[in-house]
Amino acid sequence: MLVTLALVAATLQAAQKPAAAPDLTDPEVAHVAVTANAIDIDLAKFAQTRTRTPAVRQFAQTMITDHSAVNAQAAALAAKLGVTPADNAVSQSLQTGAADARKSLEPLQGAAFDRAYLDREIGYHQVVLDAIDKLLIPTTDNAELKKLLVDVRPAVATHLEHAKHVRSELGGASGK
Amino acid sequence: MNWLMAVLLVAALGGAAPPRTHTVEIRGMEFHPAELTVAPGDTVVWINRDIVPHTATAKGWGTDVLTQGQSGRIVARHAGMIDYACNLHPTMHGKLLVRD
Repeated sequence: MLVTLALVAATLQAAQKPAAAPDLTDPEVAHVAVTANAIDIDLAKFAQTRTRTPAVRQFAQTMITDHSAVNAQAAALAAKLGVTPADNAVSQSLQTGAADARKSLEPLQGAAFDRAYLDREIGYHQVVLDAIDKLLIPTTDNAELKKLLVDVRPAVATHLEHAKHVRSELGGASGK
Repeated sequence: MNWLMAVLLVAALGGAAPPRTHTVEIRGMEFHPAELTVAPGDTVVWINRDIVPHTATAKGWGTDVLTQGQSGRIVARHAGMIDYACNLHPTMHGKLLVRD
């Protein structure tokens, strides 16, 4: 996962350079958005089969509910604009990271699982927030797609705070 | 002053004001306004402008889950300070001050 986060971070840094041309087309931005939501829904569904902690279960349910709502809007907007989401390096990097995260969570149970899941969610939402700010919003041309990203940002920020709050209640060291 | 005017004056000065309806908008993952003062008998309406669903929930009462564009209401019954939150997003908080 760290390698993947580094890849996304490198992409973000490239996007920050003043001279850099926008990296992603709008169909690619749409693909990143849909992928980012789908990844979090999938992991939350897995977490719900594994956790026995009410606060963690509730957090996972909120991730499913919210990211599904966002994806429904993204799909509706893409259809309205006639945009077909296009796969790209950022989407692939997120998917590789998701697969790695799932692999590292798979053997864990109980409190160790809860902590590792919340640690992953904190890191993931931070990466997505950075991607929204530094890559996706700046590179998006279509005003409605840009507005969707702007509208979604506070939800991602709230998820990050929610994850940190639940994680702090779990106690224990990060990582395991 | 005839008796009817006296009754009306007493009603205007001493009687309860007619109940009002207050609106709290939920947008950008916040309650607007975050703090609201109402009188007993007033109605508070929460309307969700966000893409994601929300609730306004306190001990003993709460709205249903409100999807985008939906609203829910409660009638403030008793004086007091009420802290409420969104059930789906526990970091979202609001206050309702109910007083005469």
